[in-house]
Amino acid sequence: MATSTSSVYVSVIEDVVSKVRDEFINNGPGEDVLKELQGIWETKMMQAGVVNNPIERSGAAKTTPGGPITAVHDLNVPYEGTEEYETPTADMLFPPTPLQTPIQTPLPGTADIYNIPTGPTDYPASGNDNGGSTGGPGVGNAEPKSGRPSPYMQPPSPWMSQRTPLDVNIAYVEGRDEVDRGTSHQSPTQDFFTMPSGKRKREELPPQYQASGFVPQQDGAGDTTPEVFEIEIIGGSTSYGRRGNSEMLEPVLRSSSKIPQLDGPIPDPYDDVLSTPNIYNYQGVYNEDYNIANTPAPNDLPASTPAIPAPDDVGEDDDDEPPLNENDDDDLDDVDQGEELNTQHLVLAQFDKVTRTKSRWKCTLKDGIMHINNKDILFNKVFLLKFCQIYCRQQGNSISDLPKKYPFCQSCGGGWPKTSRSRGVSGVW
Amino acid sequence: MATFELYRRSTIGMCLTETLDEMVQSGTLSPELAIQVLVQFDKSMTEALETQVKSKVTIKDALFKNEDSQENVGRVKIVACDSKLLTQ
Repeated sequence: MATSTSSVYVSVIEDVVSKVRDEFINNGPGEDVLKELQGIWETKMMQAGVVNNPIERSGAAKTTPGGPITAVHDLNVPYEGTEEYETPTADMLFPPTPLQTPIQTPLPGTADIYNIPTGPTDYPASGNDNGGSTGGPGVGNAEPKSGRPSPYMQPPSPWMSQRTPLDVNIAYVEGRDEVDRGTSHQSPTQDFFTMPSGKRKREELPPQYQASGFVPQQDGAGDTTPEVFEIEIIGGSTSYGRRGNSEMLEPVLRSSSKIPQLDGPIPDPYDDVLSTPNIYNYQGVYNEDYNIANTPAPNDLPASTPAIPAPDDVGEDDDDEPPLNENDDDDLDDVDQGEELNTQHLVLAQFDKVTRTKSRWKCTLKDGIMHINNKDILFNKVFLLKFCQIYCRQQGNSISDLPKKYPFCQSCGGGWPKTSRSRGVSGVW
Repeated sequence: MATFELYRRSTIGMCLTETLDEMVQSGTLSPELAIQVLVQFDKSMTEALETQVKSKVTIKDALFKNEDSQENVGRVKIVACDSKLLTQ
């Protein structure tokens, strides 16, 4: 699997390089820069561990027959034809050394743009290029190699050692809607509104709490605020984690969901508008088809329907439990805001079909890249996603309350299709 | 051919983006050319996924399973674009 991922990556790299080559040669800085680009790119891929070194080398060997020896040989080529080779016969006496000195001389002046810390191999490359205009046919041998840092010389480059493991969340942080959400949550208005919500757990809340203290939280619900919940869509043993003294507070939490809200208005419209797209309004019984409109992915609906989280919906699904305040949705927000940013597992794909019925989501994804457990997995199709956890939280269930058999949600577990329950993964859940 | 830019957030895309960033900052590469490279990457990646990748994966909750491996993660983020947008 890793091999195929790696080979696909290598082929993509080569495809990109070959297709932009004309652009580089005709309008751009030349092919050597392209080679350099390819070299750095491939090196980064190796650093990230998604491209196997042998494969990458073999890919390079296709364009570069010959090893370092060829490079040394080619170094001399441009100068053979022009001035240096003809002049002194002393070259014959000291073959390698004097030949290299004239090469290094023009380097500092002319080869500034090539002076990128990719490793020592750049120097032969750029030196070659400097004389390349007058070079003989031998130059062609060296060109594919130029700028491609040798894997054996990786350590010298400073940026490599500084490089942190590839963080798939970087782009996510820079995403527009995420930024919007993040900033909006920092606004003072937001702080104001966070006060009454007993079940809100947000990391930045405690300071606000102490600072403002408008609403004295005497009802017990506020005790839980410092906690940060992590809701996870989970297959394994862990279902959801939380930070802080979770063990002690767990009973409080559970009860807090049932404590009538006496401390103020429940709705928190800003949260709902800004960060709770209506997709989280799970209790609806209706079936939604997301394929009709050209909607972006669910995550990209930052400010869609305000999703007034109609408490009657809750009661509809779960009659024996008291209606929960809709601030349960804020647990989701916390996930969006704080925790999901740290999610290392990422799936990038195109979707064919997205439907949901109650808490059951069915998605068909295709042509995707998954970054899971630091592995890259490419796939052509994915079927059946189920998101149940959030629903479960809305029901006020603690995951630990649920039987091991259905670590996600008792209520909606009954609704899961039998096929998926019987198919595979029985050992896991 | 329309392409998605979402694959730029994959490992390979991030590596390319970083590379281009470095080269643009060092003046080796013009920003315009860097963008062209990125666009080409979008195309190549999409094409490669269509043509070269045949594997299927099932995701149940947070268990990812394909033919020869399965991964279990605590939480996963899924970003998906409507595939129909490409054909329009």
